[in-house]
Amino acid sequence: MDYEISLLTTIGISIMFALSLNLITGFCGQISLGHAAFLGVGAYTSAMLTKAGLPFLLTIPASMALAGILGIIVGMASLRVRADFLAITTMGVVFLFIGLVRQQEWLGGEMGLSGFPDSGLGKTGFMLLTLLLAALTAAISLYIQKAWIGRVFSGIAEDEDTMRVLGIDVPSYKLAAFAIGTALAGAAGALYASHLKFIGPDSFSFVESITVLSMVVVGGIGSVVWVAIAAAVLSALPGWFQFIGDYKLLVYGGLLFVMMRFSPHGLAGMVKALSSKKGGAQ
Amino acid sequence: MSRPTLLKVENVTVRFGGLTAVSQVSFDVHQGELLGLIGPNGAGKTTMLRAITGVVHATEGEVYLSGAPLVGLPIERRIRQGLSLSQQLVKPLRNLSLLENVALAAGGQKTVSPLRALGHVSNANELAIGMQMLEKVGIADRAHQMPGTQPLGILKRLELARALALKPQLFLLDEPLAGLNSGEARALANTIADIHQGGMTVVLIEHNLSEVMRLCQRLIVLDNGKKIGDGVPREVMQDPVVRAAYLGGDTLATSQSEELTKEPQHA
Amino acid sequence: MFFLELIAQSLVQGSIYALIALGLTLVYGLLRILHVAHASLFTLGAYVGVLTYNATGSLALTLLAAMLVSGLSGVAMFRLAYKPLLKQPPHVALIASIGLFIAAEECFRIAFGASGLSFTNTPLQGQVRIGSLQFKEAEIAVMLGAALILGVLAWLQSHTRVGIACQATVSDPQMAESFGITLNTVRDLNFLVGSALAGFAGVWVAVLNNLVEPTMGSVPSYKALAIIVLGGMGSVPGTLMAALVLGLVESFGTVYLGKVLDRNAIAFAFLIVVLMVRPQGLFAKK
Repeated sequence: MDYEISLLTTIGISIMFALSLNLITGFCGQISLGHAAFLGVGAYTSAMLTKAGLPFLLTIPASMALAGILGIIVGMASLRVRADFLAITTMGVVFLFIGLVRQQEWLGGEMGLSGFPDSGLGKTGFMLLTLLLAALTAAISLYIQKAWIGRVFSGIAEDEDTMRVLGIDVPSYKLAAFAIGTALAGAAGALYASHLKFIGPDSFSFVESITVLSMVVVGGIGSVVWVAIAAAVLSALPGWFQFIGDYKLLVYGGLLFVMMRFSPHGLAGMVKALSSKKGGAQ
Repeated sequence: MSRPTLLKVENVTVRFGGLTAVSQVSFDVHQGELLGLIGPNGAGKTTMLRAITGVVHATEGEVYLSGAPLVGLPIERRIRQGLSLSQQLVKPLRNLSLLENVALAAGGQKTVSPLRALGHVSNANELAIGMQMLEKVGIADRAHQMPGTQPLGILKRLELARALALKPQLFLLDEPLAGLNSGEARALANTIADIHQGGMTVVLIEHNLSEVMRLCQRLIVLDNGKKIGDGVPREVMQDPVVRAAYLGGDTLATSQSEELTKEPQHA
Repeated sequence: MFFLELIAQSLVQGSIYALIALGLTLVYGLLRILHVAHASLFTLGAYVGVLTYNATGSLALTLLAAMLVSGLSGVAMFRLAYKPLLKQPPHVALIASIGLFIAAEECFRIAFGASGLSFTNTPLQGQVRIGSLQFKEAEIAVMLGAALILGVLAWLQSHTRVGIACQATVSDPQMAESFGITLNTVRDLNFLVGSALAGFAGVWVAVLNNLVEPTMGSVPSYKALAIIVLGGMGSVPGTLMAALVLGLVESFGTVYLGKVLDRNAIAFAFLIVVLMVRPQGLFAKK
């Protein structure tokens, strides 16, 4: 049972992380290659606070707040630059984060942090918390999609300039997307730290950003359900197929390429195409 | 009878590097007017419109809408002040139906800020308004169709509907008739006239002089970035300075303008 | 003088960056694609370099082989990966490129092992004195090589039909066709030249470090992207200047800020600061 519980917890965290990026990149069209930094901010915040004596559950809002604030700062940077530059700028954020953390001894430096207190919920309890928060993130995503904010996000993703001519304050919406997405990533980070019981600068590298991006892309940018499914499958893969563990990155890389080459709209796109073909044939 | 001034353009100059596209242009637009902004190619008409809407930054000068200064405000703020712009290149959102496209524009109240937009879900009201707008421009029968399959004439009407849904004080149109054949152009021009009759103040840039002469109550003529004419269409087109400007370059417009000023016009 | 040493270090580093970034800027200028996978051609060149040199002992042959293999692989990448994606929105090619890059790195790791390969007899390790500075022969070679190649390319671009056609394709495709050179040829050429340069750089980095390992392309990949952004996306002279500037910033930055930020963080911090002040890049033409 232990293994399954741990796996489900990992899946829950991945779903949350992927859905949080989906908000920024999927709904609002802002390509972020730096999302791992916010997972990291959340993780380090939670770990340091629990070390200082704060009960785990209280660290979650703190992680969200810090990640969200940093997210707004990065978002403000995104406002100044063109779309192509945005990808590279967000990539820079990850390097900045790791580079900073690595040099700070009080954050554990190269060796990272370990030995910080548990969540106190026990393995099963923690898993349930994780799944609950993942479900909450999905619910929030679905709500946003249906609400006016989702409609505006979608318009911005397609054609920013036209949205401005329609009177939409595009900058503040982009910031909102970043704020919500990064705050949720921060929460996922807190869970991540507590689950792994060890975090170091290498846990939040560019590779992590790519991994979560691949979940969003494979699922189908924007589709809450399929991104969640992709996240679950991709995070569980190394566990289910032990030999994949060593080839994990090759699978991710290959998957990203194959997906973009043959189905740029991900699994969601494939399903849509298949079902409309069926409908047409009848 | 003097009508109140809705838009005041005051000594606007627009410079791009070494090029001066618009030079010290001033004019007023009165409430309820249908004003045409014309001139040969490269005269600076589109740049002028862009300076008013904020797409382009005015190097010097001021623009006032109902007394409120616009220069310095980003595009979306100017739109919220009461402008609406119908662009030459129509770009509807491709994944939304015609109706949904207009409804999005109609949601102005709910999309003022992300926070407010977070709190509202229903778009029933906006769909209803959208339907009304589509009816006004005569394409309500295509409400649920997608923009990708529509001919240019329909897309132009969609653009009008979208701009109307913003409930503007001032309606700006950048070459609405471009690309349409004479029948379509006449029909669209009539729709614009109807919108104007409904009480809307309209400023349009247009090359199609026969429709311009028919619709507009007043013309502003630009040439090489400067204003060279301002008045009733008939008088403006007979002004030797204006005719020289057109003769200098735009031969089609010149022959059109000659045609039009020969025949008697119905007011 | 320490200052001079830092400058020297910057020049060496900058030359390497320039060689890699050039290929990237050629592709971006032409296709508006961020060719992240470009750096894998750098790594490929390094592997080919080590294997060839260990087998033949001839540096000339090694450089030729590396440039050829990398160059052709680059063209293959274009034909198989990017060409089909030209009609899609830009993020599709970007993500595909990232996927390709990661897969390539992994292939190197699986094929040649994670600990990497080394030269049995590393070439050009002797020391050279210039004034008060000491250089490895290889460092001089890479700086001279970079200057030579880039000079030749610049001359070719403005003095041959092919070169002018290449320039024209970006701004005026029809004129390029009138030179008798098709769009596809220009694209192939761009990838060929850019990738060959990356392979060339790969060999020299292998010689300088006496090590080739699968992830050696990661950092150059990101740095090259930062460089083309700094240089103004698609501007060749801008990219070259930016490469040198980055070399300088890193060298001096590590001395003064090393306690707070590591080398890469300094490079990206610089990038972000520059973009905030000049969103179009340091050397972009307005």
